[in-house]
Amino acid sequence: MDFDWTDEERRFRDRVRAFLDRELPGDWAEIARHGPGSPEQTEFSLQFCPRLAEAGLLVPHWPAAWGGQDRPTWEHYILGEEMWAAGEPRGAQYMNVNWIGPTLMQYGTDAQKARYIPPMAEGRAIWCQGFSEPGAGSDLASLKTRATRDGTDYVIEGQKIWTSYAGLAETCFLLARVPGSGEGKAGIAIFLVPMDTPGIEVRSIPSLIGHGDIHEVFFTGVRVPETARFGGEGEGWSIISYALANERIGIARYELSARVLGQMVAALKAEGRFDDGAVRARAGEASAACEAARMLAYRAVDRRAKGHDVGTFANIARVAVVEADRAVSDFGMEFLPEAYSGDGDAAFLAHHERAIVAGIAAGAAEIQLDLIARRHLDLPRGTA
Amino acid sequence: MEFTPNDDQRTFLGVLDQIAAGPEAAWAVGTDWQRFQWSGALDAILDENGFFDCAAEPDLGPVAAAEMVMRLAELPVLVESAASALLRPRFAPDLPRPLAVVVGPAQAIRFLPVARSVIRVGTDAVEVAELPDPAAPVDSLFAYPMGRVPADLTWRKIAADPAEMLDAWRVAVAAELAGALQGGLTSVLAHVRDRRQFGRALGSFQAVQHRLAGAAARIEGGRLMTLRAAATGDPAEAARALGWLQNSATTIAYDLHQFMGAMGLTLEHPLHRWTYRARLLRSEMSGGTANLALAADRTWSTP
Ligand SMILES: Cc1cc2nc3c(=O)[nH]c(=O)nc-3n(C[C@H](O)[C@H](O)[C@H](O)COP(=O)(O)OP(=O)(O)OC[C@H]3O[C@@H](n4cnc5c(N)ncnc54)[C@H](O)[C@@H]3O)c2cc1C
Repeated sequence: MDFDWTDEERRFRDRVRAFLDRELPGDWAEIARHGPGSPEQTEFSLQFCPRLAEAGLLVPHWPAAWGGQDRPTWEHYILGEEMWAAGEPRGAQYMNVNWIGPTLMQYGTDAQKARYIPPMAEGRAIWCQGFSEPGAGSDLASLKTRATRDGTDYVIEGQKIWTSYAGLAETCFLLARVPGSGEGKAGIAIFLVPMDTPGIEVRSIPSLIGHGDIHEVFFTGVRVPETARFGGEGEGWSIISYALANERIGIARYELSARVLGQMVAALKAEGRFDDGAVRARAGEASAACEAARMLAYRAVDRRAKGHDVGTFANIARVAVVEADRAVSDFGMEFLPEAYSGDGDAAFLAHHERAIVAGIAAGAAEIQLDLIARRHLDLPRGTA
Repeated sequence: MEFTPNDDQRTFLGVLDQIAAGPEAAWAVGTDWQRFQWSGALDAILDENGFFDCAAEPDLGPVAAAEMVMRLAELPVLVESAASALLRPRFAPDLPRPLAVVVGPAQAIRFLPVARSVIRVGTDAVEVAELPDPAAPVDSLFAYPMGRVPADLTWRKIAADPAEMLDAWRVAVAAELAGALQGGLTSVLAHVRDRRQFGRALGSFQAVQHRLAGAAARIEGGRLMTLRAAATGDPAEAARALGWLQNSATTIAYDLHQFMGAMGLTLEHPLHRWTYRARLLRSEMSGGTANLALAADRTWSTP
């Protein structure tokens, strides 16, 4: 048991930080103000990620055959911490790096790999993830969008919702049901759908979480060739289970929260308010929530780094991360309400908007608790 | 980062687990309404085999000691391990154990009636005293042998920095608390898997599942923070780990008792042994809120 970084890991983190210091523009806070899914940040990522790729910092953990350097899991994770804490200048492209790319390598046809992976490794591919639907959120397997076979094509009909990045994405990683191929999870297949295919309409949904972050996507008579199918009919669910296992530890949200908490404390100190014992106790509590989340996330990364299934350790980390984000956001609003109005503080506003998402996006906190109860605590299912 | 114990630690903890599964660790309902069960036999086996000195072994270290304290605190029977494993090897290796530790005002102190020495951490100095006779026990709600420091002890100063001692003690108490909460949780999990009402296991109700899952997340987060504090010796981490566990302790204790129902209010069921340790440990070192404020001071103080 050892909870320190190696010298090599420290050097890697320093390198990432130096890169960010050098490459983020003076008005970065403004660009990042409206969240990783905003058009501003998505466009920024198209300049930033190619530079990251040139520096060998976009996909270092990918295999060399696909433009990576076979670097260790921990470096990938350090990269994720630093990027998220900097406001995620990779925008939508973090998804490519974390799971879309690796999933394509695992399950794609040669043609799909050749077409889609190089642009990701070069930092110039924007994808969106078409999973959730109006009737299928937590219960994703109940999704209804259909892809009906028509000769060597499929015709897609249906609607997706809450789709991040859809406004600017070129390609959608889409889940749809193929009629006749099976019931429930067994009937789901994946399609890689170019977003300029006729019949796709994207509408932005005004929200509390930045500008242009989430969308509705309508599919009306969208015709794609068979070669757009990713994996076999009926294999969609097992592939996304693999894909999301890669994603499950999730975003290193506690890293931004811990840093923003430090900035909040600095603001309170400047006003002479850190002498207040209540303020200090609440700051300590929020920092403990961040560190608990960090340690639980590291435990899951440690397993992944050793090639083991991260299993429920990832769900536990997710629950703790939600608590950490909330503790820091609540601290800011309780003691620094002025930061959230008028000129305010862009960093605190941006953190708040990221934090309110933590318990819902990528699987609600309550779903994580269900999984912990059943798989980690070995408690019986609903009606047992 | 390495979350797996090294070979020596694994062997050490494996033997510890075997001993902890042995007859000396078996619990029985106490007579005379007794709320705890001191296992002198288990304590002696561990002592004779050098377990309490593991922190001084380079390949085991304080992190193995903290892990040991947690595992022992998960048992329904009691041994004294926190001070013996995390203070004694570093600050007073020759002091006869079991130990009791006094910080702050005069009050009933855990382990005193079974202790052979006391460590008193003052503002300027650390003093120790041996107990020629066992201290008289004090009746208490807390699930420890409780006693007051006798007036006639002979104290001597030891060359230990009180601040360092307190930081080490924070880690030790955090480890004991994490173990106590985990012990209670494990026992309640077994109960809610078995006990059926409304035709189904209590543990299948989501209202029960979510609270227990949340408790597990808090305990495991606290546990890892404690191990990190033990491994790094970072004083801010020590205060943070302890404060986090302390401020979680009584909510978790409440939930555990809820799900045990009336059975959990009996002395026949051991749940109280963990929850009434947790309640006392919440108050240690000025309590959770003070420790979190201290963590904040240490994290953000301007030198
Ligand atoms: C910022 C943001 C970005 C997103 N981006 C994408 C994206 O790019 N692509 C995509 O496909 N989706 C995306 N989503 C959707 C996200 O995956 C869903 O919101 C999530 O899965 C929850 O589904 P829902 O919102 O329909 O909530 P529902 O499923 O309706 O659930 C609402 C609430 O009910 C509770 N609940 C639900 N089920 C249970 C249960 N079994 N037990 C107990 N409580 C329960 C939970 O508290 C839950 O939050 C995004 C969401 C957000 C907020």
